[in-house]
Amino acid sequence: MSIAVITPAVAISAPFTRRQGRELLFCLAGLPFAVLSPVVLVVGAVDLSWYATRGGRGSVSPADVAVAVAGVGLLAVLLVSTGAARRLGSLQRGIATRLLGVRIPGPRDGGGWRVMAYQLVKLPIGLLEAYAVFFWVGGLVNLSYPLVWGGFRNHPPGAELSPLPVYTPFGLFGEGTFRVATLPGTFAAAAAGAAMLLAAPWVTRAVTAADVRLIRGLLGPGRLAQRVHDLELSRALAVDDSAARLRRLERDLHDGAQIHLATLALHLGMAREKLGDRGEVPDAAAARELVDAALRGAKDALAELRNLARGIHPPVLDNGLADALASLAADRAIPVELDVSIPVRPTPAIESIAYFCAAELMANAAKHSSAGRLAVRAAGRRDVLLLSVADDGTGGADPARGTGLSGLAQRVAVVDGRLTIDSPPGGPTRIAVELPLRA
Amino acid sequence: MTLRVVIAEDAALFRAGLTRLIEDHGHRVCAAVGDGDALLAAVAEHRPDVVVADIRMPPTHTDEGLRAALEIRRRCPGTGVLMLSQYIETRYTVRLLEGNAAGAGYLLKERVADVAEFLGALQRVAAGGTALDPEVVGHLLRAGRRADSLAALTAREREVLTLMAEGRSNAGIADALVVTGGTVEKHVASIFDKLGLPPDEGDNRRVLAVLRHLGGRVT
Repeated sequence: MSIAVITPAVAISAPFTRRQGRELLFCLAGLPFAVLSPVVLVVGAVDLSWYATRGGRGSVSPADVAVAVAGVGLLAVLLVSTGAARRLGSLQRGIATRLLGVRIPGPRDGGGWRVMAYQLVKLPIGLLEAYAVFFWVGGLVNLSYPLVWGGFRNHPPGAELSPLPVYTPFGLFGEGTFRVATLPGTFAAAAAGAAMLLAAPWVTRAVTAADVRLIRGLLGPGRLAQRVHDLELSRALAVDDSAARLRRLERDLHDGAQIHLATLALHLGMAREKLGDRGEVPDAAAARELVDAALRGAKDALAELRNLARGIHPPVLDNGLADALASLAADRAIPVELDVSIPVRPTPAIESIAYFCAAELMANAAKHSSAGRLAVRAAGRRDVLLLSVADDGTGGADPARGTGLSGLAQRVAVVDGRLTIDSPPGGPTRIAVELPLRA
Repeated sequence: MTLRVVIAEDAALFRAGLTRLIEDHGHRVCAAVGDGDALLAAVAEHRPDVVVADIRMPPTHTDEGLRAALEIRRRCPGTGVLMLSQYIETRYTVRLLEGNAAGAGYLLKERVADVAEFLGALQRVAAGGTALDPEVVGHLLRAGRRADSLAALTAREREVLTLMAEGRSNAGIADALVVTGGTVEKHVASIFDKLGLPPDEGDNRRVLAVLRHLGGRVT
């Protein structure tokens, strides 16, 4: 949620932005749904019953109310059980998405009764929305009073004119808030109109925001269901991630250390043969050469295994993230400005994820963005760890291209973390990773 | 006898070492390639006596070597195929032998360190014999599906059984155990008797018989 800073320029230009138009449309579009509120329906049904039984004479009897409540209850059951309620909910979510751009996933199953609950609160919120619409319409009308006066009330001097009522949010009905009888008076109306128009965007925004909250709460998947869904998703990611890592590990072993060792055995076997069985060595030069090759193979295999082990768990991480990041930074060819302040040590799993994110992001920056320098920051804030890697390179990092960034995002999501990419074409790039301190 | 060999192995270092090893012993390596398709092409071109191929090669890194080998066995039945791999899969053994153990072999890569043994296996496969890794046999023995009948064998007979399953001839078994050919024949007859196998019908047929008996599900 962003915090709007209101400057005079913003306040004056606010009514004319696209967003305002869309929010106003949203308020208007919501009005018909308010009519479908169970309260409205019950009142309507009571009247109907009253007319049907007594032709609208006398007072409403408790029987009318009982019939109405039962009828509306039956209707609600019908709407919920046929799935119509769900469709009603998805229609309203769709309107919010189209007009406000808020994407709210639907409930996974059921949710019909929650739609009915939304319809119940839609009446008061719908009235507030109508109130917001009035700010616009009433504001425009009031603003036009001097023109109206000039156009229709140019009677000869001395003519008695009945005063015009002016409606403002403080007096909506009947006589209005005040009345004007003279041309200068209409300027007071115009000023009230201008003030209403200036206030209108903020009223609309507040009402819209409240409605969106209700939609999210009642027409969305529900907090618990959403949480379950998120957890299912992150568990699937964790399972996939660990399976993929094991597969990669096997592949690295197979194509790396194992084949180096097999080649080493091959060379040693051949050397053994060249050395002969006893006494004289038949082909010492060849034997020496083969032993040299074997030695090289052993070193390669060791290097391979060391890299592999480091890729599984870098030993320097045992001393904490600060040391590990410093050693990562020292390994880089380009200068790295490092700023680490982590007062509370995260759990090992989080440290490991943060480390591998930093390693991958730093490698990416060096590889793809032709950056001249890097800035790496890691900060512990209450219960989150914020890690960011920024470079002065060419930008344009896109998780859709290549699996590096999306893989990282997945790994971060496993522990409910977040990865944000800010990398406009032309640069600079700043990628931030937010992780909980414990997982 | 000089063998004409085609090698397929994706790890360049190992491929070079293998080429050298084979050429050092008087054989000719006609081609050394890095994947299954190139292997098929090289075999079509050179018509080698024997192929030495890695099972896992690009592009999928699963079993392209084995698939190429089966294709070679189908197209040019006279060509021996010796598979090398970093691990032994019983399923791959089954697919490779599929009813005919002649001119087929499956060894762990590290067996090349014992140069004489490896060359022996290569020659055996080229000549239409069989060479199975002791690990294959060991795996089946450990699985213990026939523990009851195997329990009847003496320790010596178990050794002979293992060597037999590896595809060795009686002479080869005699060499390995440093005994006479007659002694081996006696052991073999005793094993066949105790396990209730059909009479000995030559080295390749008996590999299948023994594997089948051990539960290797070789058809």
